[in-house]
Amino acid sequence: MNTLLKVEEISVSFDGFKAINSLSYSIGKNELKAIIGPNGAGKTTFMDIITGQTKPDEGKVLFGERSVWLESDQKYQVVWDENLLMKSESQIALLGIGRKFQRPTVFELKTVFENLFISMKKNRNPFSVLFQKLNRDEINLIQKILGEISLKNEQDRIAGELSHGQKQWLEIGMLLTQEPKLLLIDEPAAGMTSNERRQTVEILKKLSVDKSVIVVEHDMEFIKDLNCEVTVLHEGSILSEGSIEHVSSNNEVIEVYLGR
Amino acid sequence: MTNSINDLLARHTLIFTIVVVIFSLFITFFSEPYGNGLISTSFVKTLGKTVCLCIIALAMDVVWGYCGILSLGHFAFFGLGGYMIGMWLMYERTAIIVQEAATNELLPLTETELSNAIGNQIFGVVGGYDIPSIWMFADSLSLQLILVIAVPGILAFIFGWLAFRSRVTGVYLSILTQALTLALSLYLFQNDSGLRGNNGLSGLQNIPGIEYLGQEVISIGFFWASCIFLISIFLLFHSLMKSKFGLVITSIRDNETRVRFLGYNVEIFKLFIFVLTAIVSSIAGALYYPQAGIINPAELAPIASIYLAVWVAIGGRGKLYGAIIGAAFVSLFSSWFTGGQAPDIPLGIFTIEWVNWWTVLLGFGFVIITIFSENGIIGFLRNIFVKEK
Repeated sequence: MNTLLKVEEISVSFDGFKAINSLSYSIGKNELKAIIGPNGAGKTTFMDIITGQTKPDEGKVLFGERSVWLESDQKYQVVWDENLLMKSESQIALLGIGRKFQRPTVFELKTVFENLFISMKKNRNPFSVLFQKLNRDEINLIQKILGEISLKNEQDRIAGELSHGQKQWLEIGMLLTQEPKLLLIDEPAAGMTSNERRQTVEILKKLSVDKSVIVVEHDMEFIKDLNCEVTVLHEGSILSEGSIEHVSSNNEVIEVYLGR
Repeated sequence: MTNSINDLLARHTLIFTIVVVIFSLFITFFSEPYGNGLISTSFVKTLGKTVCLCIIALAMDVVWGYCGILSLGHFAFFGLGGYMIGMWLMYERTAIIVQEAATNELLPLTETELSNAIGNQIFGVVGGYDIPSIWMFADSLSLQLILVIAVPGILAFIFGWLAFRSRVTGVYLSILTQALTLALSLYLFQNDSGLRGNNGLSGLQNIPGIEYLGQEVISIGFFWASCIFLISIFLLFHSLMKSKFGLVITSIRDNETRVRFLGYNVEIFKLFIFVLTAIVSSIAGALYYPQAGIINPAELAPIASIYLAVWVAIGGRGKLYGAIIGAAFVSLFSSWFTGGQAPDIPLGIFTIEWVNWWTVLLGFGFVIITIFSENGIIGFLRNIFVKEK
C-alpha cells in the first residue's frame, strides 16, 4: 500500500515551549486513523503543520508517494510528489488535504447550499471563478451530499441557524464537495448528542472507503466505535500506537489520562 | 431556487436603472439649456458631482462592505483620476490659448517657443517654464485616459500585492492605506512635484474643443455621463457580487482562514477587488473634477477617504444602494450646510453657524446611526419594512 502522507521528525516550539518534539507519522491511502491525547499534547499544532498554517523548526512533511522504475538501476525507487513545507495553505488544500476545525467553522451568513457550492472542487483561479455557474451534475452532487450529511431539508437555511451538530456535519459536507485525498478531522464529536455521535461514526467510516482520514479526538468511547489504529500523543511526541485495546492497556497512557 | 434569485436580481437592477434614468430626464427637462431653467447650471454640476461620489461610494462598499478591507485610501485614487484627466484639460486649453495669442505675430512660433509659452502659462505659478516629463502624454486625450486607468491600477496593484502578501489585515491595513494617502497628498503639495504644488490644476471646467457649447450644455453632458457610468458600475458590481466570485469575496470577509483552507488564494481575490475598485474610483474622479473645475492636493488628504467610509457606514455597508444613499444624502447635506444656505440658529449669546457646526452634526449623526443600526440607514429601513420570515 502506498503511503499518502509522511511526517518525518518534525519539531516546533513556541517561545521555548516544545509543542511538537521530533514526531514521525504516516498514513496510507484509504486508511482511517485516530489520534488522541490530553490537552496540550500537540494535536492541533500537528494539524496546523500539515495544512501549512505553522511551519516546523525542523523535519519533513511529504505527500503522495509513488514508485518509479529506474531504468539505470533496474529497481523501483520511491518518490514523493510534494514537499508540503514549501507550500501555502491554499496550495496544500488544492493538493487534496481537507481540514475540519475543532469548532465547527462554516460560513454562518451563507445558506447551507452556498456553503457546499463554495467548497466544491473546481478551478480556484479568480478569473475562472468569475464565470463559474452551477451545472446539473453539480447540483445533483450537492443534493447527494446533502443526503449523506442529513441536511437535505435545510439546504436554503442560513448556516448560522443550524444546531451545533448540524454545523459539524455541514463542515464535513464541505470537505466532501472538496473531494480531498486526505481528511484531517479535529474533534468531530464535540458537543454532539449520542444519536448524532453514532451517525458521525457512520459518516466517517463511509468516508474512509475512498479517502484517508485522520480523526483527532478526546473521547475514548468515540474512538472505540471507530475501531481503527490509534496514536496517543503526549507532550509533542508519540506515547503509544496500536489498537484501542492495546493503547488503553498501556500503563503510561493510563497514567497520562488518569493522572490528570 | 435559482429562478427566484434571478427574478429578484433582474428586478433590483431594473428598478435602479429606471430610477436613475427618470431622475436624469427630470433634471434635464428642468435644466437651463433643455428646459425651463428651474434647475440652475451650478446645481446640475452639484448633482453630477454627487453622482460621481455615489460611484466611488459603490467602490468603497465593495472593497469594505463586501470584501472587508477598510481602505482609507480610495479617495486618493479618485484624486489621481482627476489629476490624470486634468493634465490633458489644462495642457490642451493652454496650448489653444497660446496659439490664438500668437496668430498676430509675424513669424509662427517655433516648437521650443510654443513649449516654453505653455510651460510658462502652466508652471509660472510655481516658478518655472519647463514642462516636467510626467506631462509627456498631456497633449493626447486618449493616452491620458489610459493613464486614468493605469496609474491608480498599477499603484493599487503594487501596494495591494505587498500588503496582502504579508497578510496585513484589519486596522493595520487601514493605517497603511492612510499612510499611502498622506504620502501621496504631501508629495503633491511640493512645488517641484510637477503638478503645480498646492495650486493644483484649475480651469478644468473648460473642455478644449467644445468650449463654444457653453457650461450649461457641458454640465448636462457630464451629468449624463456620470449617471450612465453609475448605472454601469451598479450593474457590474451587482452581478459580480451575486456570482460565485461574490460568494468567495463575502466569505473572505467573514472567515478568511476558512476560505484559504478551501484552496482559494485569498490574496489574489483581495488584490483583484482592490485594483478593480481603485480603477472605478479613478474613473469617477476623472468625471468629477471637470465638473468641479479645480483639483488640488487637499482633495486627496486622508480626511476625504475617512468621509467616504462614513458615507458608506451611514448608508449601510454590504448593500450597494446603501452606499449610494449614504453618499448622496451626506454629500448633498454637506454642501447645503457648508455652502451657507442653511439658516443659522441664534441662541442669544451664541449662534450656531452651520458652516462650522456641520461636522459636529455629522459626527453626532454617525454615532447615533451606528449605535441604533449596525447596517446604517438601509439596515434601519429593512428592519422596519422587511419582515424576517
